[in-house]
Amino acid sequence: MKIGIEIHQRLDTAKLFCNCPSALAGEDEKPRCAIMRRLHPVLSEMGEADEASQAEFAKDRAFEYHAYSNNCLVEADEEPPALLNPEALRIALQVAMQLNATPVSEVHIMRKMVIDGSNTSGFQRTAIVAMNGHIDSSQGTIRIPLIAIEEESAGIVSATEGKATYRLDRLGIPLIEISTDPDIRDGAHLSEVAEKIGMMLRTSGKVARGLGTIRQDVNISTEGGSRVELKGAQDLKMLPAYVENEVNRQTLLLKLLLEIRERKALPVKTHMVELSDLLRMSKAAIIAGGIKAGCAVIGQRLPEHEGLLGMEIQPGKRYGTELSDYAKKAGVKGIIHSDEDLSKYGITEAEEAAVRGALGADDDDAFVLVVAPIGQAKSAMEFVLQRANMDFIPGETRRANPDGTSSFMRPLPGRARLYPETDVPPIPLTQALLASIERAEPLAEKKARLEKMLNKEMAGRVLKSRHLHCFERLVSAGADPMLAATTLEDTLVSLRREGVEFSDIEKTLTELFSEFRRGSFVKAAIPEVLKGMAKGARVDAVLKVYRLQKISGPELEAIAMQNDFDMRAIMQKYRLQVDPQEVAEVIKEGKKEQGKDFI
Amino acid sequence: MYSRRLLEEFRKNSIETGDRIRVVSAGAEYSGFLMPRPAGGDDDTIVLKLDNGYNTGLKAESVELIAKAPKKPPAPANEAGPVARGGIAILGCGGTIASKIEYRTGAVYPSITPRELRMAFPTLKKWDIHSRQIFSLFSEDMGAKHWRMLADAIEDEIKDGSEGVVVMHGTDTMTYTSAAISYMLQNLPVPIVLVGSQRSSDRPSSENEMNMLNSVYSATQDLGEVAVCMHASTSDDYCHLHRGTRVRKMHTSRRDAFHSINAHPLAAVDYRSKRFERLSEWVPRRKGGLVAKKELNDNVAMVYIHPNIRPDLFARLDDYDGIVLVGTGLGHTPANAFEDKTVKGVVRPIRELVSSGIPVAMASQCISGRICMRVYSSGRLLMEAGVIGDGADWTPEAAYAKMCWARGQAKDVKEIGRLMMENVAGEITARSAIEGY
Repeated sequence: MKIGIEIHQRLDTAKLFCNCPSALAGEDEKPRCAIMRRLHPVLSEMGEADEASQAEFAKDRAFEYHAYSNNCLVEADEEPPALLNPEALRIALQVAMQLNATPVSEVHIMRKMVIDGSNTSGFQRTAIVAMNGHIDSSQGTIRIPLIAIEEESAGIVSATEGKATYRLDRLGIPLIEISTDPDIRDGAHLSEVAEKIGMMLRTSGKVARGLGTIRQDVNISTEGGSRVELKGAQDLKMLPAYVENEVNRQTLLLKLLLEIRERKALPVKTHMVELSDLLRMSKAAIIAGGIKAGCAVIGQRLPEHEGLLGMEIQPGKRYGTELSDYAKKAGVKGIIHSDEDLSKYGITEAEEAAVRGALGADDDDAFVLVVAPIGQAKSAMEFVLQRANMDFIPGETRRANPDGTSSFMRPLPGRARLYPETDVPPIPLTQALLASIERAEPLAEKKARLEKMLNKEMAGRVLKSRHLHCFERLVSAGADPMLAATTLEDTLVSLRREGVEFSDIEKTLTELFSEFRRGSFVKAAIPEVLKGMAKGARVDAVLKVYRLQKISGPELEAIAMQNDFDMRAIMQKYRLQVDPQEVAEVIKEGKKEQGKDFI
Repeated sequence: MYSRRLLEEFRKNSIETGDRIRVVSAGAEYSGFLMPRPAGGDDDTIVLKLDNGYNTGLKAESVELIAKAPKKPPAPANEAGPVARGGIAILGCGGTIASKIEYRTGAVYPSITPRELRMAFPTLKKWDIHSRQIFSLFSEDMGAKHWRMLADAIEDEIKDGSEGVVVMHGTDTMTYTSAAISYMLQNLPVPIVLVGSQRSSDRPSSENEMNMLNSVYSATQDLGEVAVCMHASTSDDYCHLHRGTRVRKMHTSRRDAFHSINAHPLAAVDYRSKRFERLSEWVPRRKGGLVAKKELNDNVAMVYIHPNIRPDLFARLDDYDGIVLVGTGLGHTPANAFEDKTVKGVVRPIRELVSSGIPVAMASQCISGRICMRVYSSGRLLMEAGVIGDGADWTPEAAYAKMCWARGQAKDVKEIGRLMMENVAGEITARSAIEGY
């Protein structure tokens, strides 16, 4: 088994080829306008077949794009791209150096043809920044042949057969793409490598955080099987499950294939029969409803396939599911097949017998039904037959499902169709530029440094935290590391649960800690002070209004005396204003004084 | 273009663009295809197409030939043998509307044979078309010479029985050409439709296909005018057909850059839904035969009036045969009507140009609206100096092409003035419609 991984990480900068911010539109923001476009294949000298497939993909599909306030004419494909964002390039170079890669002499921006509509231009801009990197892992060196910088695609809103709708707010956000060679041994190793690279990215600088900002594509090839690319894995914890399920899937498919060969069940000849009239009186909802809506029922016999479609090849997914995933390419919802419990659809035994009769399918045969408008149903069935007739395990691009399984998306792409982006000149990476890139602190060193200033547990949390860079800046401005860490990782979290939010956490905490160093309030008051500050007040005003100023000296002594030097009573009343250690000292001193009086 | 050092290195190793080579850079070895150097960047860096399809720039410590690229003769621009007649003629002048990219080298070639056009635009099969390349230029490189070549070719097509003519043209100066052809070829028995694209055809998002198909569809209609067919909106939904003398490129990059000035477009066009919706009056196909008045004079200057413009600039224009001023407002230049000491007017040198026999016409930087030089003293002084154009609602481009044409048609300054102010193809209209802006 060979495993490689491709990591795509969004950067926290403006967009790659325009000056729009990379922040996504707010949930309640309405699109400013909708643009309708079509894409069409571009003439090339790369051969007719390629064009044919492109033409098929793009055939008469309309794409609607929703533009938001953070979009400009560049994302709308109405203005040439600006020069490549230099900040994004610097971050990519910094990451490349951390991955021990050699920057190229000159960055050439390429167009990668994408015709599913997810880029308004019909291509994604991408450029190699560095090559020949590597990182160490517990099981040896992982080679990193390629580090590229590219633009994020538009986010899909909805898709039907004839039209797909995308939102443009995501289009053009810079991504770093890191690809490894197939040097990864197994699922656990994959997690380790992905985590290590992910951590390097997060700790080194300006990368975006939060859901969807990092994506993993996993390449798996097995002995006797095929190469499969699993796209869009977001949860690192699931990576071993993806590997395990894919290996099992291919092992089971191989077993299935041997059985198919044993039964001499291939090739399946195309012989589609329209069964609409036969099933016109059916009570099965899917059939009756379909026919009423003008759909046809198309059937096809799969000779000698009895039982095969019901074989489970992934948890909860059978060979029939694979055929169904292919059928979905034609835009249908799925298929009905004879290894399913047909009664659950409401198909009676008599109807099944009639269908078998019409298709000429005996007990050793399986059959597949598709309910859809006739053209679509036929094309769905063609996809089913295409898959059924594969006397091998197909190389595929599959979607990584959240449950650890995967679903067919499309055949593996051929070599990417790349051609130069002539609107943006190449960028020489001069010695001066490379020398000016700040080297990121190696992960191990950073970890050791944090462990020294915090404890091991907190160091680990801070290292993984989205506030890591904020923490570093607060500490270098003089904040106590442990206090800064607990405030960021604990206090803010519990305040957020209470609904307390800050517009600028770093600014608030900088002000808070600088006042704290002056001794104006005590640690225990921090959550209360922050609550006041969240409302927009300055820290000194909060202390005054909420009576949170620290009490010490003669005032504290007086309070101690009033409370008979009872620590519990004092702390109960003045917890947010006194330093317990100081109270203890005052009590000790006070009791000494009292003792003297008795003498 | 590569640096001399690299070119010498390539020559020594018999390496040419497209060959498979091996490059050692920063101690590592890379193989791939040698690409041509694009503009910009460092010419001492080799551009290598790697096996993963990416181009990348590498400073080479050494370079070595692995295999020569297969030789391929360039395809002829025009198909051999007799050219078909009848149907719709598609003439190529260049521009990005129909070109193809050679992925191996990244070079762009015009595509013009009917077969290539049908490959680029499969829907063209619906119509009976034939095509030929007149020349292949960026439109900003075109001038009166090319307008003439194009007019000759169109005339031939019409004489040979074409039922409509479509001209593929770069967008930058398309409206100069459309205006010029409007004057040169009159009493049109067939539509002449110019078309281009704002997104180059090497992009899947190029709007060339829709513009092209709507142009051919327009060329089949009952229209006896020169028109420009381009996107009506940023969406790929329909096109506007604009009168050749009224249309102007109003945006550097948007698909819907072309607008009709002081007028509505002629029609909204969508071949998919067979929509050819009249938006304003047009001239139907004319009977009585084409009238060709193709003589032009290309020795015409256009001057954009601006603050600080100096009188001596005009003195240097005396070897031109005609001048179009693009004036401010209603049609003004600095004239110093108040005889202020701090002002330098330019009326005197303009008057001298006119009296030396050089016709001078006025258009406006406002683009929209009519020239009215009678209203203010500056304008009146210019009129007294002999500047023509008062009352014309032409675009600067239509006025410029008109001057080239009028200067080619007549020698006498008075006659030129008369031709200038006589409406030939809708460049001057009598009424300014309220809703025209």
